[in-house]
Amino acid sequence: MLKTKTVCRLLFYCVMICILTGCWDREEIEDKSYVIGLGLDRSSQKGKIKVTMLLANPEVGSIQGGGGSTEKPREIISFDANDFIAAKATANAVISRKVTYELLKIFVVSEDFARDKTFPSTFYDITKDKEIHQNSYIAVSKEKASQYFIHNRPKMETRPHKYYQFMINHGIENGLIPDSTLFRYLQTTERGTDLFLAMYTTAEKQKHREIKQEDEYMAGELNATGELDDTQFIGSAVFKNGVMIDKLNGQETRVINILDDTTNIKEILVNFPNPFSDNNKQFSARVSKTKNNKVRMNLKGPKPMILITVPLEYEILSNPSMVNFLKEKNRQILKHEIIKDVEGLFEKVLKKSQTQLKGVPYPLSFNSRRYFGTIQQYKKFNWAKSYIHADIQVKADIQIIDYGKIIKKPIKVGE
Amino acid sequence: MNQHPGKLGIREYVSIAILMVGAKATEDTPTMLYNKVQNAAWMIPLLSAGIFFIPLYLLIKTLSLYQGKDLFSVINKILGKYLGFIICLVIFIISSFGISASTRTYIDIIRAFYFTATPNVIIYAILIIISAYGAKKGLQHIGSVSYLIVFYVLVSLYIVFYLSMQHGKIQSIFPIWGPGTLEILKQGPQQLTLFAEFFIFAMIIPYFTSNKVFSKGTWIAYVYVSIQISAATFLFICMFDTSLGGIGYPFHTVIRFISLGEFIPNVEIIFFIIWIISAFIRFTAFLYINALMFGHIFKIKDFEYLIPSLATIYLLIGIIPESPLDAGLDFKTPITNLAGPTFAVISILLWMVALIKGEFKHAKNKNSM
Amino acid sequence: MQKKISKLWKQGLNTEPEFNEQSNARVIDLKKQDISASYDQNLATFKSLFTVPDNSDVKVREFTITSLNRKGFIIYLSTMVGLQIIIESIVEPLIDDEHPSEKIPDIVSYPIASTNTNIGEITEFITAGNTALFVDGDKQCYLFETTQISGRSIEKSENEVIVKGAKEAFNERGIDNIALIRKKIKNENLLVETRTIAKRSRNNVFLVYQKDLVNEELLKTIKDKLDSFVVDSILDLSILEQYLEERPRSLFPTILYTERPDRAAAFIEEGHIILLMENSPACLILPATFWTMFHSPEDHYLRTPYGNFIRILRFLALFVAVFTSPIYIAITNFHVGMIPPDLLMAIAGTRERVPFPSIVEVLMMEIAFELIREAGLRVPSPIGPTIGIVGALILGQAAVQANIISPIVIIVIALSGLSSFIIADGSLNFAIRITRFLFIFSAGFIGIYGMMALLIAGLFYLLSLKSFGTPYFAPMTPHSFSSKDLIIRHVPMKERFRPGYLKPKDIVKQRKG
Repeated sequence: MLKTKTVCRLLFYCVMICILTGCWDREEIEDKSYVIGLGLDRSSQKGKIKVTMLLANPEVGSIQGGGGSTEKPREIISFDANDFIAAKATANAVISRKVTYELLKIFVVSEDFARDKTFPSTFYDITKDKEIHQNSYIAVSKEKASQYFIHNRPKMETRPHKYYQFMINHGIENGLIPDSTLFRYLQTTERGTDLFLAMYTTAEKQKHREIKQEDEYMAGELNATGELDDTQFIGSAVFKNGVMIDKLNGQETRVINILDDTTNIKEILVNFPNPFSDNNKQFSARVSKTKNNKVRMNLKGPKPMILITVPLEYEILSNPSMVNFLKEKNRQILKHEIIKDVEGLFEKVLKKSQTQLKGVPYPLSFNSRRYFGTIQQYKKFNWAKSYIHADIQVKADIQIIDYGKIIKKPIKVGE
Repeated sequence: MNQHPGKLGIREYVSIAILMVGAKATEDTPTMLYNKVQNAAWMIPLLSAGIFFIPLYLLIKTLSLYQGKDLFSVINKILGKYLGFIICLVIFIISSFGISASTRTYIDIIRAFYFTATPNVIIYAILIIISAYGAKKGLQHIGSVSYLIVFYVLVSLYIVFYLSMQHGKIQSIFPIWGPGTLEILKQGPQQLTLFAEFFIFAMIIPYFTSNKVFSKGTWIAYVYVSIQISAATFLFICMFDTSLGGIGYPFHTVIRFISLGEFIPNVEIIFFIIWIISAFIRFTAFLYINALMFGHIFKIKDFEYLIPSLATIYLLIGIIPESPLDAGLDFKTPITNLAGPTFAVISILLWMVALIKGEFKHAKNKNSM
Repeated sequence: MQKKISKLWKQGLNTEPEFNEQSNARVIDLKKQDISASYDQNLATFKSLFTVPDNSDVKVREFTITSLNRKGFIIYLSTMVGLQIIIESIVEPLIDDEHPSEKIPDIVSYPIASTNTNIGEITEFITAGNTALFVDGDKQCYLFETTQISGRSIEKSENEVIVKGAKEAFNERGIDNIALIRKKIKNENLLVETRTIAKRSRNNVFLVYQKDLVNEELLKTIKDKLDSFVVDSILDLSILEQYLEERPRSLFPTILYTERPDRAAAFIEEGHIILLMENSPACLILPATFWTMFHSPEDHYLRTPYGNFIRILRFLALFVAVFTSPIYIAITNFHVGMIPPDLLMAIAGTRERVPFPSIVEVLMMEIAFELIREAGLRVPSPIGPTIGIVGALILGQAAVQANIISPIVIIVIALSGLSSFIIADGSLNFAIRITRFLFIFSAGFIGIYGMMALLIAGLFYLLSLKSFGTPYFAPMTPHSFSSKDLIIRHVPMKERFRPGYLKPKDIVKQRKG
């Protein structure tokens, strides 16, 4: 029995040692400050960057009933640092707890800094820090990132992580912003054959705002009034070799997202011109893409030929001209109009990518790979260069699955 | 209905084999293969499996002459006492370094991804202590534990595969021949080490209910594992494309990336659990076999008592390299280059000597009598 | 430090001192002798053996047997016998019967009788409640089984409650218990063997098994083990359980202890061996595997889908009970990224004002829960429920409001605590609860990694457990032939085999067609 006692005692010591010493990676949950958004700006001093951290206050919005605190839901600090990893330590001069990137959801880079040649080398630190998950997003802000976070005051989601989660997810579902995860950024940059799109955002109102098509806006251009937060997420910034070169508006971004089979867009709502009358009233439809594109290429000749077939399903939602779709002819007219509209739009965007962007803003190069046997042949072909002179045709394979409710023309009074 | 107490059934053996060899898909092997032949890397496991099939087949055939005898006894019998001893020693040393190298790889992974501040030694010590404890319990229990968990390991692996497939682009495997067929054919034989464990499994033949269990189990596990490694590499290529070359441990990068819906964004720990369990089993079995070899070479009957000391030695060897980079250069490269081909050569040598000595005829005569 | 350890070791290795028994050679010698023909000598012998008249419930009644015209006496323990029976069928015929007759069995009308000559054996019978009759000039003693002990009647099973199925439970009377099994298995091959296991208090064990099913080797092992005890008394089956186990210090039980006769009968039919004891309201089932502990009889009484549903629930409960609190600690202390951001914020927010590290918090609550649970068992039944409510509600609520415990921890503890109740087997339940503490420590030490290390070590340990030669996880691994009634059970028609690890004489319990 004494033996048992000895064993018990030794076990007890072990347990005590375990409890009292095991603290290499142990970190109490409330002992950390969680960075939700990280802003990167050009610093006034050369070789440094300006880091802005958006820290969430866990106490706000999490305690139910009683004990509600008067603290603010977030804290924002900006300072100059060499990189954003060592900045965690520097931040502790201001922040009372240990700063961690564990919950980092979004990187906001100012347009100014994103266009800088040194941006990729700074940004590549994301692969070094193990706390940063590659499924966080990168966004480009029109103004300085430090300003962006300060001006962005969501009215409904005061807790920042929730705001960015909802904003980004629904933006991507609508196709108005690209699915710009760090993972995609790294991959696109390393592949070197095509361009990367990052979501474009701003918290600044543009002075003169005009009214455009439903998706033709850039961030900041939409003239929304009322009691709201001025931040807008729409459009995208184009990165070539990791450096920002251009911007695409909401419509173009949407087109790219439809063309890109790797992004999951849900159904999107669009307007298209009315083929039945000349007035400006447009049809609206819900578009969904259930199948993947078919891409056929002929890369043998001096000028590569690319034929993209985009299958789309349309549900007509409004019928401003009160057209009777029971008639086969009307249906044909509508379908033709849609095809014309879609193909024109797609080809326009792709043309822009060939002439203005000098590269394809989604991984189209993948489709070309199977025409080659070995990597050497593929490299020799040089997709990035060949794409610019490629002859691209887009064919829209439209299926109208619902024409909406069949309505009779309202009978005018007195008739 | 026949029960053999303390013996290993086919289920248990296959589970051990799958856990031990299949786990290679989850460490740095895919990256290593990718760096060799880029996007044709997924063909290499299949090709190597095809090449290693010949020596393995010959080995099993030779071993079947001696029912219930383990590899070292057969080597001693065929090659004589002195040459046999040297070859056994070589096998033991290679597999000893193998175990140190691969435990070190695992420790590096754990440290890099999950416990960044914990000292290497602590993580290493826990791994080794648990493995030694398990190994001391004996092979049957190792088999039982692996059988209990192999199902969960495979299911979680498939879930990872499925989730990563959603992010992967199948076109990444094109151009299909990668750097060219010649290069692939050149790399095939160099990657035989992928399946080196199957050679070592011949050590535990006396623990099987029959030789048939060994040969049948080996083939089942062999085919499955080669497909699994190939499939894993394939998926990693689809997922990472050209970035794969720079990612040390693609499995862990994948599980950090994938998510189960937007409300459970990070699920790496779930898969880490399963992965670490299979790692424990893997090294337990490995340690046991090594102790068995050691006991056999130096004629120590109660080799179970050697396990703790051997484990300590492996730990000490394992912590020599200062950084993961050193570990890769010092250990991994020589071992991977050496182990597979050596084992293949030994297998073929055994078969040839047996053939020349007329053992096969002898056995045939015996059977006909 | 080193000195202390070596001192500890010395203490540990210290053997117990020699104790010498006071000699009672005279009595032992006496017990070996036969009784004499002399009436007075017998009377004196037994009076001295039973210390009459100091021993108040030993009654000696002297009388003259009318028909034989000889003196005789009966001796019995008045607390252990049915007095009415003795009067009616033993004493009255002996005194009143005037027909001249030569033999005692012809006079006495009591049905169960035997004769014996050895003093020691007669003493044993008397202590068991028999009545001994000595006749002057007769060299043998007549023994009548007049035992009548009062005890509980057969009641509902209280510790293993099921909704569907038989409700009766074993009670403290061996005869009743055997009857409960007998009435379920009406077969002459059902054997009830008696074995005395303790020297001094002469405790009996009943081995119940089916002669034509049970594996002889297994039977022999168990019998040998039972015969090997050199012990004065084993009063209860639960103490016998500890004597029987291969590893009495192990956390996990290797013998199934159940109070349900239907369960016992089912196991007998499978080829297991049941041990019963006088005075113990339960039985031991050997050998037992993890699965026998894990299953409940209700799994089989319910229809297959429902039975499997509760099986899966129980399996889940097993994991929840063991792992919830350790995972909470591991995740909040080591793997923060794992938690969904909302939950993380919620946990961090509520923990801000809690003064203790989360491991202390969890340990405090776990211990509190165990205290409440134990207290709830011990308090007199009228106030039992009140204690439960006070403990669970007031304590938890107050602890949260006083900022001692964060509300999440209450949820975690309540969940794991309640889940542990689903594991019906008492021993396994304890094992699970204690293992939970081990896991909490390992999680506090090095997170998930430590937990998994402990899990694997635990698995190795569990698999190395054996119950009378049967591996703990048989027939899952090592694999043996069975009807695959493990986590999921099949429809009863498909369960055609007895478990192969028992090696029963007949493995098929349901022939095809």
